[in-house]
Amino acid sequence: MGYDLELSKVVQEITKSKGKLVCIQLPDGLKPQAMMIVDTIQAETGARVLIWLGSNFGACDIPLGVKNLGVDLMICWGHNPFHKKVGW
Amino acid sequence: MVKVLFFDAPYFGKVELAKKTLEYILKKKYKIIALYASVQFCNQLDVVKKQLEAAGIAWVTSKADRTHVTSQVLGCDNYHSSLNLKAQADAYLYVGDGKFHPLALVYGQKDLSKDEVKEIICNDPIEKKFELLDILHIKTILKKYKGSLLKFLNATTVGVLITVKPGQEQMKPSFYLEKKFPNKKFYYFLDNVVSFDQLENFPFVKVWVNTTCPRVGFDDQLKFEKGVINLNDALEAEAILGKDSAMNGL
Repeated sequence: MGYDLELSKVVQEITKSKGKLVCIQLPDGLKPQAMMIVDTIQAETGARVLIWLGSNFGACDIPLGVKNLGVDLMICWGHNPFHKKVGW
Repeated sequence: MVKVLFFDAPYFGKVELAKKTLEYILKKKYKIIALYASVQFCNQLDVVKKQLEAAGIAWVTSKADRTHVTSQVLGCDNYHSSLNLKAQADAYLYVGDGKFHPLALVYGQKDLSKDEVKEIICNDPIEKKFELLDILHIKTILKKYKGSLLKFLNATTVGVLITVKPGQEQMKPSFYLEKKFPNKKFYYFLDNVVSFDQLENFPFVKVWVNTTCPRVGFDDQLKFEKGVINLNDALEAEAILGKDSAMNGL
């Protein structure tokens, strides 16, 4: 695959946050890794993991409404923080 | 809002210029290259920079407005000013895979003057491949957009697309259209993602202004039978089509 998913850091962050319900979001190229990511997180932290099915065009494209489901943490791969501007 | 953590997923393979890429830059006698990459490759540009320097080619770069690190280019950097590139360059060099990011550099050239249009040299370190988005290619892409800009200037009934996604939502800035174009009537449409199949249900709209992800205004042009332009370009439409602009004479 060639990309470092930093899973040990991910596990560390989930453990630190005591997250029980986590949602992961992947760009299309990394979506095939979802099974491995979910299995690793579940085995290492015991958290339940939801996979965001839809788009992940950038850090501007974070799902809405996940808080209503009780999601404690969103984890997004392939992007870094986005600095939004007023207007484009 | 839930706490969000980002992981760049950096590429850990070798990042260097393919032989063909360097040969092309030398053949074109380019002296200064504007260097950009997608985030997965940003932390590994040292070898690329050394390759360029060894070949006698200077490089310049910048930190674009919405990015987190220097040399990173985002898909939404399709306004030349957002790159913050102060130095002059003979061409752009994009390091990364795919076309999504280098196309932002193509679209941004609509904001330049006729003489400033530059080609984009793409170097894919994964496939070790060289590809070119040349001036002709750039002009063909921009030509379609020019048609929609003209349509907007002539339209009296305009549909404005707004998303509820916080990272992309630009509702208040879109209201400025009314001040700038008092003779046009604007209707505002709200959605999560743009539902292209719904557009035809509003036949009174003569042209669309997109305020969601600015790539919708370019990449999805064919899905808009009535034509679409992005908010910033609607506000600057007359200037973009000005006498010396890259869009004029396409």
